[in-house]
Amino acid sequence: MANPVTKLRNTAEEFKIKSPKDKKRFIVDSILNNALYILMLIFVIYTAIMKPNFLSLGSLANLITQVAAYLPMALGIGGCIVLTGTDLSAGRVMGLTAAVSAVFMQKLDIPNRMFAAMPEPSVPWLLVTLLVVLAIGALIGLVNGFFVAKFSLHPFIVTLSTQLITYGIILWFFNLNDNNGTPFGGLSDVYMDSVGGTMFRLDNIGVPVYVLYAVILTALMWFIWNKTTFGKNMFAVGSNAEAAKVSGVNVFWTTVLVHTLAGACYGYAGFIEGVRSGSVQAGTGMNAECDAIAACVIGGVSFVGGTGKISGIILGVVILRLIFVALTMLGVGSSSLYIIKGAIILCACALDMRKYLVKK
Amino acid sequence: MKKLFAVLLALAMVLGMAACAGGGDDVTNVSVFWYDESDVYLGSVRAALNAELDKLENVEYDNQFAANNQTTQLDQITTAIANGADILVVNVVTSGAVDIAQQVLDKAGDIPVIFFNRAIGADDSEVSFLKDNENVCFIGTDAPEAGHIQGKMIGEYLVANFDTVDLNGDGKISYAMMKGQEGNVEAEYRTQYGVEDANAVLTEAGKSELVYFDASNTDKYQVDPDGAWSSKAGKEYMDTNLVSYNEANDNMIELVICNNDGMAEGVVAALQEKGYNKEGGHHIPVFGVDATDNAKALIAAGAMTGTVKQDAEGMASAIAGTVNAIIGGSSCTAAPATLKDDRFTIDSTNSNKLYVAYAAYTGE
Repeated sequence: MANPVTKLRNTAEEFKIKSPKDKKRFIVDSILNNALYILMLIFVIYTAIMKPNFLSLGSLANLITQVAAYLPMALGIGGCIVLTGTDLSAGRVMGLTAAVSAVFMQKLDIPNRMFAAMPEPSVPWLLVTLLVVLAIGALIGLVNGFFVAKFSLHPFIVTLSTQLITYGIILWFFNLNDNNGTPFGGLSDVYMDSVGGTMFRLDNIGVPVYVLYAVILTALMWFIWNKTTFGKNMFAVGSNAEAAKVSGVNVFWTTVLVHTLAGACYGYAGFIEGVRSGSVQAGTGMNAECDAIAACVIGGVSFVGGTGKISGIILGVVILRLIFVALTMLGVGSSSLYIIKGAIILCACALDMRKYLVKK
Repeated sequence: MKKLFAVLLALAMVLGMAACAGGGDDVTNVSVFWYDESDVYLGSVRAALNAELDKLENVEYDNQFAANNQTTQLDQITTAIANGADILVVNVVTSGAVDIAQQVLDKAGDIPVIFFNRAIGADDSEVSFLKDNENVCFIGTDAPEAGHIQGKMIGEYLVANFDTVDLNGDGKISYAMMKGQEGNVEAEYRTQYGVEDANAVLTEAGKSELVYFDASNTDKYQVDPDGAWSSKAGKEYMDTNLVSYNEANDNMIELVICNNDGMAEGVVAALQEKGYNKEGGHHIPVFGVDATDNAKALIAAGAMTGTVKQDAEGMASAIAGTVNAIIGGSSCTAAPATLKDDRFTIDSTNSNKLYVAYAAYTGE
């Protein structure tokens, strides 16, 4: 890996010997390629001037917490996008696994406990719950991957179908035992504390334990993407499935496993979401995949396939949460939040394609 | 040049978007959180509340919308606290589980929280929650009341017009029920009492009870699958129902009860496409709740029969009054009692629970 300082020095020297016209083009290109970050910086400075609290430690804690919550799903969906696909089922899978987590971890003494046979919530049982929801997520991912790989269906179609099927299962689940769709509440302290318990406080805002888990998950995903044969195969299939096949990559299993891994990530996201929303209702997780896909795209995981970095996904999530926090603090209505979000995604994709077209 | 223009344009947009903000430190910051921006009734509460809050001196407020997502709302609340909010006014997304309210309180710490409109828990849990916490109050409606009023109104209407409503003359009224959302406390009560109370009135008058139109549906309601109480759901269900239940088959739905006016609007639209509920056609009675402007217009035009008025101005003035009392130094438990208005009643067991009255509405 090149030393960034040397790299910068080299760029500076190259810049010196350029003709004035090339110099101008270089500057414009650099500005345009980094337009998103420049705009974000200006936006942050502006918000900080208008609302000094924006740069307080409490605000930082709030931002980190939100990033940690939105990251798992984006990390999962990132793999699908690397394969030039997408995953529309992510949000509903999160909803289902959140519901299952909640039901497994309900307090013993609440009147409307869903399943009387569930044992008393404890740490070992919490781990069982985690494994169960990871398995549920992975299973749905497996189904997605199988249909995509086996029948060469576009992931859009496959995951749209599983999204609907999963929502049907959620609704059915919420109506079991005369529950009539009532939200699952009364989550046990073990569950709340081991996932959402405060590690430490910055100002008056607590940083929950799942921030730590998010760090671990990110490290794990970075390892899978960059240091394993599976990760390398994923990028190979993403950039050119035919070429990958010829050079001996098992395209079928790579596709299936990428989706399965993504499903497990959503399962984990649901496990966290149960705690975050405090009680789970049938609508939990609706459209959550949109934010995750947006984060990946903003972070440079290209729909062209075969490109993307974990660091990019983190950056994408941070940018999206930054906009959310800043606009909430500025007190601008949700209308502008949606407009800005949309504009940024469009802008990011256009810039991304521009780089690609230049290369071509 | 083009590129430069593009960059400048984007820049201008971001700055323009952010320019609508302001702030100071010697004022009370009130943050109001709404479950969804597109709810019609809450839209009229918001208009009235903004006007009321504008009147209070040294109060700055902002409205946040959670797009029907509880997690988004909790993130917004944390952000508002980090931003130095002094009073939180919360319209929870997940109604029916008191855990959410507890989470909000845990986040808020010393900051007073006013919950409004959507019930924070099912009955018993809400009562004890409000009893156990001093820094909180609830301004809403007595959840079962709307259902009771609607049921009574339906019963009385049917007793007076039984033979016109009973299209096939079998001595029984077949009805459809549109439910806004699964698990929502208000929706549950309205679905239950809308029928039960109507039946009570019918039985007393010696008529037979209402019959759900589809014998194979044991739930005896159709619910908005998105939980959005939407006219879209009302329209789609009714369109589908009318395919197999109509006068040609002699099993036409003779009455439609809806959890809110939004769904009722959809039902009326579906009926009108089939020639009902407009001039010259037979009128199928449709009942809603909320008394939105659209519903009032439909009632005036004779396309809808009745609704239950949920008092948007009353709700707004109760919230603003409580905010004002808290700023004046009153505690959350004492603030509701300081409001003198015959539209409000304080709950008999909890002084921090205030009800805004409902009223039947069948046209002015």
